[in-house]
Parts: sequence; structure tokens; C-alpha cells
Amino acid sequence: MSNISENNLETTTNKEQSSRRDFFKRTAAYSVSAIAAANLLAPVKLSADDANIINHVEWGTTLGDELNKYPYGIPSAYEHNVVRRTSSLLSSAGDMHAAVSMTPLHELEGIITPNGLHFTRTHNGVAHIDPNKYRLMIHGLVEKPIVLTLEQLKKYPAESRLLFLECPANGAAEWKGPQFNSLQFVKGMMSNAEWTGVRLKTILDEIGLKPTAKWMLAEGSDGSEMSRTVPVEKVLDDAMIVWAQNGEAIRPEQGYPVRLMLPGWEANLCVKWLKRLEFGAEPWYCKEETSKYTALMASGKAIQHYYPLEVNSIITTPCPEKPWSDLKKGDMVEVEGIAWSGHGTITGVDISLDGGNNYVEAKLKGLVLPKSWTRFSYMYKYEGKPLLIQSRAMDDAGFVQPSVTQEKAIMGLEGVYHRNSICTWEVRQDGSVHNVQVRTDNCPK
Amino acid sequence: MIKLNNKLIAIAASALLATTMFAAEGTTKPLPANVYKATKNALDGGVTYKRENGAYTAYRVNDQSTKGVNFGRAPTANELKAWDADIMPDGTGLPVGSGTADDGETLYDKDCAVCHGEFGAGGKGYPTLTGGSLESLKNQRDCPGKEAPNRTIGSYWPKASTLIWYIRDAMPYAHPKSYSPDQMYAMTAYLLREGGVQIDGKDIEELNQDNFKKIVMPNEKGFYPNIDGPKGVENVRAFYKNPKNFGAVGTRCMSNCGKESVMKIGNEITAVVPAYSTVRDLPKEEAKGAVSEAQKLYEKSCAVCHKTDAMGAPAVGDKGAWEKAMGKGMDKVNHNAINGVGGMPPKGGAMDLSDAQVKDIVKFMVESSK
Repeated sequence: MSNISENNLETTTNKEQSSRRDFFKRTAAYSVSAIAAANLLAPVKLSADDANIINHVEWGTTLGDELNKYPYGIPSAYEHNVVRRTSSLLSSAGDMHAAVSMTPLHELEGIITPNGLHFTRTHNGVAHIDPNKYRLMIHGLVEKPIVLTLEQLKKYPAESRLLFLECPANGAAEWKGPQFNSLQFVKGMMSNAEWTGVRLKTILDEIGLKPTAKWMLAEGSDGSEMSRTVPVEKVLDDAMIVWAQNGEAIRPEQGYPVRLMLPGWEANLCVKWLKRLEFGAEPWYCKEETSKYTALMASGKAIQHYYPLEVNSIITTPCPEKPWSDLKKGDMVEVEGIAWSGHGTITGVDISLDGGNNYVEAKLKGLVLPKSWTRFSYMYKYEGKPLLIQSRAMDDAGFVQPSVTQEKAIMGLEGVYHRNSICTWEVRQDGSVHNVQVRTDNCPK
Repeated sequence: MIKLNNKLIAIAASALLATTMFAAEGTTKPLPANVYKATKNALDGGVTYKRENGAYTAYRVNDQSTKGVNFGRAPTANELKAWDADIMPDGTGLPVGSGTADDGETLYDKDCAVCHGEFGAGGKGYPTLTGGSLESLKNQRDCPGKEAPNRTIGSYWPKASTLIWYIRDAMPYAHPKSYSPDQMYAMTAYLLREGGVQIDGKDIEELNQDNFKKIVMPNEKGFYPNIDGPKGVENVRAFYKNPKNFGAVGTRCMSNCGKESVMKIGNEITAVVPAYSTVRDLPKEEAKGAVSEAQKLYEKSCAVCHKTDAMGAPAVGDKGAWEKAMGKGMDKVNHNAINGVGGMPPKGGAMDLSDAQVKDIVKFMVESSK
């Protein structure tokens, strides 16, 4: 038996708890800052018995659901706020056919994004493909062009990889300064999953790529026929045609039944609802290839064929949605986050608590894999004082995540894509967390 | 590893900078360069990993031969014709047909203006297609009050083939792949004419599979690396060899790296759906199958303008907009809905609705926006 009075030091009475919950309901739904305010009110009561321990709980005194109520399981009803979110400002006129939804990074654990929470970008809505009518054509500069049904494709030897997918516009709203006070909207245009399929090289070894083939056209079959041009060199290195996501069929939002997977490269290159691969000697200039996924520089010229997502990281605890408002001075707490690089594997992450003036090394934890999210961790003794907390990742290609000032000196502010500069959370005196940027601008006052 | 001492060093206090931090001492031992055996030779400036001894980085792989794994069949000539229909910059894949810019304008007004605005000038929330200039591409909004670059077809796109391919496969938005080749040429001719693109110094009046190949887009040379021709891939490799080309300029400083200003959020974007919440409670019981009569009427007669704020009308669900609209009370809102206000005609143009029905719809819209 443990000492009851000690165990009860930080519990609340049932009444207090419910009034707090009511406050939470009224305010928290409308602003992230209110979450912090609600946490501030967390009452600390000495020696009050917790009714959840003293009394029988309702789920312990009734018969639960029959186990086959949901042949395909669903999350607890209490988790209904753990969802993808959209903003009409990241769409055309609020139209959700050509828009993006953001993964709730603040609610994720480990490095697997559940399939229902994977971020989604579509150019003409989510297509629903009948797998019986699905065909994949591979042709052009190959010796033996082929057409495959889904069942035939899935007979090829499969491999699985944990890989991130990131829209190159992730964080694009923030080139000129912070705009969203939310981890979900600052970095949620990305997810990480285990993808299963066949290496494209395995198929090409059999059907014979002609030496004149330099480029591959990948074309989707949705209403936009989203397409991109990929250099053959990438195709033969680590490209895959995948049909499974975290052990089950790819979700419609992610390209059911088949998508292209180019590890580490812009997610739009990993064409969804994949219909056709054509090999050629010249690039195609596809529909969104220049009009959208190019980065305009201050020179007035734009980078095209801008493939890999550069080394990047973000602190997920704390964050605006998960503040430190309930911490007391002296509490030991874990700073946690995600690092990733499309150029290779994460080798380390540094943490700053003073806005980038001084750094210490964080620890990597869990699986460390190429072109996959990698978790990092740092134990910190909370002082109850304001902080400017940052993470800075490095990869085995030798790249170090740049500061905002370093990045914009080269890339300017109008490139839209590939923003990978260091993010800063401001932890205020009250423990609330706010999105800020540490940067130097030289504007006339 | 860095050694931390327990002494906290006070950093010059400012309203924006944290006041106490750790201090880093001693030298930083570099982390191992590689987690896995990596070779920095990838086209994209990154590394590649070998598959050897049954392994690929941390993954085990089956290293038996896959020779002879061979499924599927050859496509027929008709299948290839049906699907191999991309359109390339040299004109490969252009359909046979022709269309005038004037016909394109008629088609545009019918199918496209609702999203892309009159003459492609935008303003409806969807991409602006015309206007802009090459000069504007140098605009940088690095300080308040500066103009944005204007990326339109005429000022930005390097190839005309992209435009007709786009129209053929992906437009009109709600009915893609519905245009005949003549309509594709007409629409392309119109958009290029409006965008100031010319052939041999003359405005484009008519386009077909032959004169299409003579189009030179004004910003054709506006992109790098140069991916065309036999050196295309090598140009890409050369581009990625220099990290400065793509902003990979971060450096690993550990202490006294320098202090910079803190920029806070100016105008926070809070319009997100569903609204932010991390509460763990049971969802509100949604009335099952209870679509009210008012909601049905709303969907039929009002949603086209009020579903979003694109048309300037208060959007259903936009709490702030409806609080503003309700500022003068429900009676005033009902009065406006029945008699019209601003750009909204009486009853939103649905004159078959009774006054009572309009009031029910207003009530539904207000209730749905709390």
C-alpha cells in the first residue's frame, strides 16, 4: 500500500474538475491560447480524495461493447478532436477539392502517422478508384512495355520502408513572419508511414530500360491527372511503386490503390492514383511542374525540378497546443521533437533555449532511418521563466538546418517552397507557448 | 559532448529574450558523420546507401535474384493511343484541331470566369491567369508595403504545351476532360492572347497543331537548372552540388552564436476547421438524419454564396462574420435577407421563397455560425 495522503497531493475534487472542464469546453475550442489559460487554472488541492479512485467507475460496473461491434476498429470517442484540420486560407476560396489538410503533429507519438491522420493535398478532390478497374501502364523507352492489374502488381516482391511525405509548401505561410499559433499549421503538411510496394528497379530490370531513357513521366488518374517528371537516376536508386500504408491498403486520400514513392522528395512528385509511367529522353513540363512547384528567387528566376526536402526539425513538446502551463518550477520535463531529411539520415539535433545563442545536444531516440522522421529528446529542468526554444537538425549528407536569417539571405521570401529554417517556440512566464521567429530584417522604420 | 555547469548565466534582459539560460562550455565533439555507410553521390545533393550483405541501412532485404519475376502483358496499340496522350514542349502529342481566341473567350465566360475572374484577372480566390509581368517576378515582400510577384501564365509559365495539356486533362475544374480539341485550342488561344503572348510579334487570333509550335513563352528562360537536351540531368546534378544554390547554408555553432530580434505573430490566422481543441470529451450528439427544412432550402438557394466568404457574403460557420451581421439584431438581418442588402438581391434572388421561409433559413444560418 502506498501512502494515500502523499498520493493525493495533486488531485482535484470531482466538482472542481467538472467546473474546470466546463471552462475548457467554453473557451478552448476557439483559441489555442485559451488552452494555456485553462491549464493555468488547474487546481491543486491537498488531501482531497479523487472520486475516480474512491468510487467505482461506470465502465467498471457495466458490460462493455460486444467485441465485434466495429469490424474495422475506430478510435475512442474521446479522441474526436485528434483530426486533420484545414484552413480556407490554404485553399482557393475555401474550396476543399484543391486544398491541403494538416496532420495533428501535437497529438502524435513515435514516428508512425495513423492512416486517418495523414496530411492530404489534392488538386481535384479525392478520387475513388475501383481496384478491379485499376490498370498501371509502363512504357516509352523500355524494351517490353507492360500493363498490370492491381493483383499482378502486388505479385512483385515487396519491401517496406518508413518514409516521410512532406508537401514542399509545408510552412510556406511563414516566410514573411509567423502567422499560425499552432504546431499543426506550422508544420502539419507532412506525415510518416510504413509504405510497402515494389522497387521500380525490380520491374525495370525485367522489362528493360533503354539507355536513352533519362526521364520518367508519372501520371495520376484523378480529375487533375497530376503528373511530374522524375530523373531515371532516382528511379533506379530508391523509388518504389507502393500499395500499402501502415500495413493496410493505401487510403483514398493518399492515392488508393497505388502511388509512386520517391523517398525524401516532394510529396507531389510521389504521384497518387498512379496510372502511367513513361520513360523518355526529354523532360515533360507537366501541369503543376512549373506553374506551381518552382521556387522564385529574388533574381526573378525560379528553381525548377526542386526535389529533396532539406534537413528539418520541429519541437513537438512543448508547442502552442501542448503548453507547459501545468508545470511547476523545478519540474523535470522532456523536450521532444521530430527531425527529418530528404537528403539522408538524421545524425543529430541540437536544442537552444535562448533563441539560438547557445545550443546543447539532444538525444536521438527510437528508430533512426533514412528519409524518415526521427524522434529527439532532451531532459530539461523547468525554471518557470520565459524561453525561446529551438531545435536544429543535421543529416549524413553534411547539411545543418539554417536559421531564418541564413535561409532568407539565399532564398528570399517569395519562393513559397522548401522552407526548412529553424522554428522557435516562445514559452512565456505562464507556460503558454507561442509561435515566433528569431530573425533579422532590415526594413526602414 | 557539451558540459553544462550549474551556474546560470544572465543574458541581458529584454522584453523579448528569455532572461536565464544554460551556458555551454568546452568543445563540441562532432557526432559520427554517418549513421549508415553513405556515399554522397546522389543527384539531389544527398547520399545513397548500398544494398549489401542482405541489408539496406537498418533494413534487412532479400538479396536473392528477382530475375524472371514478370507479370502483366504488353499494351495494345489502341491502349497506348488512349493513354499516351501527354503534350510535350516540342509539340509531341498535340491533338489535331484549331480554335480562335474569340471562341475561347465565349467558352471562358461560360465555364471559367466564375472561378478565375473576368478576363482571367482573378479576384475569386482561384488562381489569376492573366496580367503580371516578368519585371514583377523580382518583387520581394521583404518589408511592409511591397508588391508581390505576379505569377501568371503569360508572365511565368515557360512552355505553352503545359497550358493546353492542363486544359485538356484537368479543366474545366468540375468537368475535366470534357473539351474537344477545337475547344482546347480556342481556350489556349484566348488565355495566351489575354496574357500578352504573341506569335511572330502578332497577337494570337487562332491556334492549331502547326502554329502552336511557334509559340515562345516570355519567361521561357526564367527557370534553372536547364533540364533540356542531353546535358539536362547533368545540369541538375551540378545545381545540387552547390548547397548555396538551394539555401543549404546552415552552420553548427554551439555557443555565443549571436542574438537576433524576435518577431511575433502580427495577425494570427485562426480560421481553421474544425476549430482548435485538445479537449478529450464526448462529441456533441449530432441529430441523426435531422436535416431541417430550413437547411434544405439553404442548400438549394443560399449555399452558393454563403458556403464560403468568397462572394463577400458572411459564410455559414464564420462566427465573427455573423456576430458582425447580427450587430443590429435579428430583425435587421431578416429585413435585409427579405429586401436585399449590398450585393445581395431580395431573398438572394430566390423569389419563390416566402418571407417566413427566408426567416427560417436565416435562423438556420445564424444558429450554424455560433
